Amino acid sequence: MAKLFPTQEIGSIAKPRWRTKGLTQPLTSKDLAEAEQWAGRLGIDDYHDRAKELLSTPEGKDRVRGLLEFSTIYGLRLFERTGLDNVGVGGEQQRVEMYEHVIRGVEGMRVLGHVQSFDYKYFNKAVAESKIHRKHPIYLQEFLDVKENAKGQIKVPITGPYTLVDWSFGGDYSGHKTGSSLKRQKQEAKREFLLDFVEQVIRPEIRDLVDAGASWIQIDEPAITTHPEPADMELFVEAWNETVRGFSCNFSDHTCYPSEIGYKILAQYAPKLDKCSQLALEFANRDNTSLGVDPEHREGYRDLEYFIQNGYEGEFGVGVVHVHDFSGHVPTASGKAVDRNIIESPELVRDRLLYATKIVGDPGKIWANPDCGLRTRSWDVTYSKLDSVVKGAELARRTLS
Amino acid sequence: MTMPPTAQLGGIYPRSEQLIELTRSYDRGKTDRASLEERFDQDTRDLVRLEGDSGFETFSDGAFEWQDQLRPVVDSLEGVITGTRYSRWFDTNTFYKKPAIIGKIAVSKFEPKKFLRAELLPKSKPWEVTLVGPYTLSELSENLHYEARSDLLSDIAHAEHLIIQSLKDAGVSHFQVSEPCLVYRPHREEALTSEELDSALAALRTAVTGSNASFLVQTYFGDATAILPRLLRLPVETVGFDLFETDWSQLKVETEKKLALGIVDSRESNVEEPKWIAETATRVSKHIVSDNIILVPNSDLKFVPRKVADAKALSLVNATRLIKEKN
Repeated sequence: MAKLFPTQEIGSIAKPRWRTKGLTQPLTSKDLAEAEQWAGRLGIDDYHDRAKELLSTPEGKDRVRGLLEFSTIYGLRLFERTGLDNVGVGGEQQRVEMYEHVIRGVEGMRVLGHVQSFDYKYFNKAVAESKIHRKHPIYLQEFLDVKENAKGQIKVPITGPYTLVDWSFGGDYSGHKTGSSLKRQKQEAKREFLLDFVEQVIRPEIRDLVDAGASWIQIDEPAITTHPEPADMELFVEAWNETVRGFSCNFSDHTCYPSEIGYKILAQYAPKLDKCSQLALEFANRDNTSLGVDPEHREGYRDLEYFIQNGYEGEFGVGVVHVHDFSGHVPTASGKAVDRNIIESPELVRDRLLYATKIVGDPGKIWANPDCGLRTRSWDVTYSKLDSVVKGAELARRTLS
Repeated sequence: MTMPPTAQLGGIYPRSEQLIELTRSYDRGKTDRASLEERFDQDTRDLVRLEGDSGFETFSDGAFEWQDQLRPVVDSLEGVITGTRYSRWFDTNTFYKKPAIIGKIAVSKFEPKKFLRAELLPKSKPWEVTLVGPYTLSELSENLHYEARSDLLSDIAHAEHLIIQSLKDAGVSHFQVSEPCLVYRPHREEALTSEELDSALAALRTAVTGSNASFLVQTYFGDATAILPRLLRLPVETVGFDLFETDWSQLKVETEKKLALGIVDSRESNVEEPKWIAETATRVSKHIVSDNIILVPNSDLKFVPRKVADAKALSLVNATRLIKEKN
C-alpha cells in the first residue's frame, strides 16, 4: 500500500541574501556566513569547495550559473532535511518570481512597471506589445540542476498560461476599441492572447521539460478562481486541455486564494481538465486555529466537498499551513505565534488532514503541503512549518493505522 | 449633453516606482517611517500637480497610503477588525484584508489624516475622497456578530454617514461612494434580489443624506444596466458605471442627474485616445441622456503602473476639451 498523506512543497521559498546579492555583485566570505551556517544545518557536505569556487570565479555567466545551482541545492536540502516526500525544484531559486521569470523569456512582452498586490507587496506587470513567442527555454536549466542534485521525488511547478495572461495587459491583443460591446471585445482578445501563450510559449516549454525527463509538471493557475463566470472557466479548460494535449507526463494544478465564492466554480470544471491528476489548493488561510476534525472547527476545508460532489476523481494537495502574515489567536495545542508568523503544530496539521479525509473519503488521495509557496517567510519559519507538515502527516497516518 | 463635460479621478491612484521601492524597504525594516511619509507626501504632491496642470477641477490626493479600498473606513470603526485573512479584490490580482464584524458597529477612531493628506491639497479647489459603500463593505466583511444582515447594513450606513460628516468638516466637498457589489458578485452565487437592492439603496440614502456634499455613487466591474434606473433615483448628484462592463447600447434612459462614465479602463495599459473617449462618450450619451457628463476611470487606477495612470488621467482631461470644442 502506498504511503498515506505524502508531503510536498508547492512553490518558491525565500532567496538567501547571498544568492540575491551574488547575482549582481561579487561575494565576500562575509556574505557567505549565512550560507555556511545553513550548510551545517542542512548537511551540505561540499559547501567549502563550492564556496571557494564561487568566491574565486570572476564576474560572468559561469559565476551566476554556479550561484543559481548552489542556491537550488540549498533549497533541495532544506526540503529534504524536513522530510518532504516531493521536493519540487528546491523552492524555485532560479526564478525571479512566478510571473516575471516567464515574461522575461517571452518575445513580444515588455515589463511596464509595478502594481500593488497587497499592502507593500507588488508585482511587475507586463504588456504584450506584439504577437508573442518563446525567446529561450524558461525552466529547463533549473530542471536539469534539480534532476542532478535532488535525492527525492521531484516535480516542476510552472506558471499556467491562463494566469500569465490574466496578470498581463493584453496590449497588442486588445486592439482598437470600437466603442460598443467593449466587454465582448476584451474577452475575444483574452482568448487570442491565451491560446497564443499556450502554443508559442508553454507547450514548447513542456516539450523541452518532458524530453529532458520531467515526469510531473504542476501548473500553477492562481488566477482561475478570480473569474468564476462560465466564459472564463470554459476558456481556462480550453487552454488547459490544449496545454497538456499529447504529452506523456503527469500534470497537476495548483490554485490558491480564490475570490469570495471559493472553489465552488472551479470544482464544477475540474473534472473537465484532461490529465489533471491532482489539485493542490490553499485552505489553511481560511481555516481557524483550534484543533478538531469536525466541520465546526475545520470550516476552511469545506470547499473540498464541492470537488467530490462534482465528481473530480484525482488527488488533492491539501494546504495545511498558512504562508502569509498571521496575527490571530493561536491556542497552545495548535502551535505558536512567532513575530508575524504562525507555526502550526503537527496536531493542527493532523486534524486538517483527517478532516479532509472525512470529506474526500479515500486517504490515499490526499497529499499534505503548504497553502502556497513560502517565499515571504524566513528560512527558519519555512523549516518549522514544513517540519510540522511532515510530522502532522505522520500523526495522521498513525491515527488511521 | 449640453453642459461641458468634466473629468475626475477617484479611488486609489498607483504608487510611483520610487514610493514602491521605499515601501518595500520599509517593510524589510531598512527605511524609517519618516522617510516613507516624506515619499507619500511627494507622490501626493506629484498627483496634485498633475491634476492642477492638466485642468482637473476636483482634486483627489490619490490615497497612496491606503493599503486597500476598505482599510481606512474599517480602521475607523469599532466592532470591526481587519482579520488575518487576505481576500481577493473581486476578479483582480490584488488583495484586501477581510474585515471581521465582531460587535456592534460604531465610529470610534476617526482621524481625517487616515483618509487624506489635506495639507497637500489646494485650499481653493474642491477635494474628493472615495469611500466604499455600505453594501459593498457589508458584503466583503465576515459577519460574526449581526443576526440580521439588514441591521449590519444599517449600522455601517450610519457609521459611514458620520465619517462623511467628519470628512466634510475637514474640507472634503466631493465623495465617490463605490458600490461594485451591486453589479458584480463573484462572491455570491445568487443574483441580487429586489429586497437586497432596496436595503442597499436605503443604506446609501442613510450614508449620504443631510451632508450637504456632492456625491457620486459609482459601480464598477459589472454591468449596471439592470439597476441604473434605481440608482438614478438616489438622492445624489451623480451616478456612475463601468463602460467596459455595462451594455449601455441596450439602454434608453433620460436623467437630470450627472453621469460618471467609467471610460478609461483601469485594468488595461493601452491608453485611450482622447478622440476615442470623446466619440464614445457622445455615443453613450445618445442612450443615456444627461446634460452633465463626468469622465472618470472605470475603477481605481491602482491596477496600472503610475506612468500609465498619469497618461490615462491626461487623456480624460484632453477628451473633455475635445468635446467642448466640438460642442
